[in-house]
Amino acid sequence: MPDAIRPVSHAPIQAQRPASGASHAASCRRSGAKHDDAYPRVQVPRLLAYAFRPIFILLPAYMALSILLWGLFWAGYLPLPYLHNPLGWHIYEQMFGVASAGIIAFILTVMPEQYSGVKPVVGLTLLGIVALWVLGRLAFWLMDPLGAGVVALIHLPLLIWVLALVAKPILQDPLRRNLGLLACVVAIVIIQAWYFASIMGWAQTDFMSILRVALGAFMVLVLLALRRINTGAINEWLEEQDIDDTFLARPPRYNIAILCVLLFTLAEFLMPRNPILGWLGLATAAAILNTLNDFFIDEANILLRSYVLPLFLILVLMAAGYALMGFDYLHDGIYGINHFRHFLTTGVFGLSFLMVMVIIGTLHTGRRLVTNRWVDACVVLVIAATLLRGAIPFSPAAARWLYLGSALAWTLAFVIYLWRFYPWLSGPRADGLPG
Amino acid sequence: MNAFLSILRGFPRYLWTGWGAVASILLFVALWELGHQRYGDLVLPAPLETLQRVGQMLSSQGIREDLLITLKRAIWGFLICVGIGSVLGLAAGLFVTASVMSRPIVSVLMGMPPIAWIVLAMIWFGMGDLTVVFTVVVASLPIVFVGALQGTRTLEGHLKEMAQSFRTPLPMMFTDLYLPHVFSYLFPAWISALGMSWKIVVMAELLSTSDGLGAALAVARTQLDTTGALALVVMLVGSLLLIEYLLMEPIKREVEQWRE
Repeated sequence: MPDAIRPVSHAPIQAQRPASGASHAASCRRSGAKHDDAYPRVQVPRLLAYAFRPIFILLPAYMALSILLWGLFWAGYLPLPYLHNPLGWHIYEQMFGVASAGIIAFILTVMPEQYSGVKPVVGLTLLGIVALWVLGRLAFWLMDPLGAGVVALIHLPLLIWVLALVAKPILQDPLRRNLGLLACVVAIVIIQAWYFASIMGWAQTDFMSILRVALGAFMVLVLLALRRINTGAINEWLEEQDIDDTFLARPPRYNIAILCVLLFTLAEFLMPRNPILGWLGLATAAAILNTLNDFFIDEANILLRSYVLPLFLILVLMAAGYALMGFDYLHDGIYGINHFRHFLTTGVFGLSFLMVMVIIGTLHTGRRLVTNRWVDACVVLVIAATLLRGAIPFSPAAARWLYLGSALAWTLAFVIYLWRFYPWLSGPRADGLPG
Repeated sequence: MNAFLSILRGFPRYLWTGWGAVASILLFVALWELGHQRYGDLVLPAPLETLQRVGQMLSSQGIREDLLITLKRAIWGFLICVGIGSVLGLAAGLFVTASVMSRPIVSVLMGMPPIAWIVLAMIWFGMGDLTVVFTVVVASLPIVFVGALQGTRTLEGHLKEMAQSFRTPLPMMFTDLYLPHVFSYLFPAWISALGMSWKIVVMAELLSTSDGLGAALAVARTQLDTTGALALVVMLVGSLLLIEYLLMEPIKREVEQWRE
């Protein structure tokens, strides 16, 4: 168990749920402890007690393993003859396969916190969702005997099922807090269906173009999710540090960034290789850098602190990805757009999933966000994986080593996460609350 | 001195807030690129080509000299109009009679099109620096005058009375009461006048001189060199944005802090 993160001090560590009392009331106000009243009164195995528990054990394992398998295939050690377009399938699985788990864990964990009365998904329903996700991964790697149609039938219902579980409270919310998030996940499901339609010849669109659209939708999702995560996690951290200030993720800044990402994605789909993408890429980078203004608060310099810096760096990596792609579109001498796109996939995806898993895995197991050197190491490894992958156009002679180094750094990051967080994810909450 | 140090301390953070503006400008450039692809080089050259031309121009001795001449004229005109306009406006604001008398004259000056001033100045002063600087001064002066006038006229009486009842020393009254209030009117007027000076100087140069960026613009027009003309415009707008956002805006934020 990570020794630098301590359990909540004012609530005794206990297996039973505290009935009442000031410490319990105080803990209920914290992030990760607001679901208490709505938690189902049923006995479920610990691993099925909350959506994040099984998924944040399986997801990092799969993130590490799939990249390792992909690296072996790419290096010629693992034959996968069924993949007619291995690159396209690699992109698909790293986006939809990995992200679907992240989305499910995030949404199913956060919804009961945001809407009082929403019951956390636990037990058999959760087991069904997790089993469908695992089946989807197996189906992907066994696509040749199964065929794309069967894989589509397994992959597509997963997010639709989860959407059906959470749509009602979101749609009924008069403040419309998560409507954008819901719309974005719906768009992702539609894009996923479009991808399979293209693969099976039902749609004429080139599947690589669809995957680029999907990446744009995922970036919008990351921005929407980060707006909430940053506000919640950084304010939680400020409170822990006794810093009397509030972090505000200002919606107009994020809205400009989202608009720019959407324009870039649309232009890349409609006008591939057009120089206009250069300016849109640079505009998107600038708009994302603009969101970083939120991190400069008056009372203290919080930027270089654990938990804050990685959240800051997610946006820096996203800006770097769009800036480099924009520069590439304007500059004839560089041919590295797909390498630079890894700033968005390896970098933004990797670091966002890592931080979501760390923050949720800490707060929702009843612990506090305190400096953790293992988390810092994971962050450094994901950034190293991104920089090594993005450096390939500048050093093509060392491409083989850069691919390998990037894959190893990525794998190591998620193996470390799993090693340090497994005891928390599989054990009871430190504050004794259910879930 | 404290204000200066405060501006310096907050400058990196201030600069970072500029990313939103950079994003908007780059989106506009993307629209420009779309226009170029739709209408071709003659109507609207590509932004990248235009920026490359700016680079070439800045490395050429002739255009650098033209740029310096234009900047010199604009800055002189701006400083003169700020000096005269502020003093006259503040003075007029102190006396109701002067304020009432000056209003129609300001209306006349503001209603007079700058092109008419250029023609008159060409007749009065011939072709040269004086014509350009005069036009800049006379076209920008009313903006500064009105700002200074309003700043003085809107001083709150009860604040003045309160300061007097506490026997506040005159220097403190000036620095802590009069100056912040007047400045909050005067500074936006100066910034508007700066923008006006930049526009007028090019127009005046285009019609009345053989040097400066305005004259270079006239040459680009006769040669149908759209890229060159746009590059000159980019240089002008760029220099204005640099002065306004790197120099004027940080000072404005510092002096207007009392409003928050």
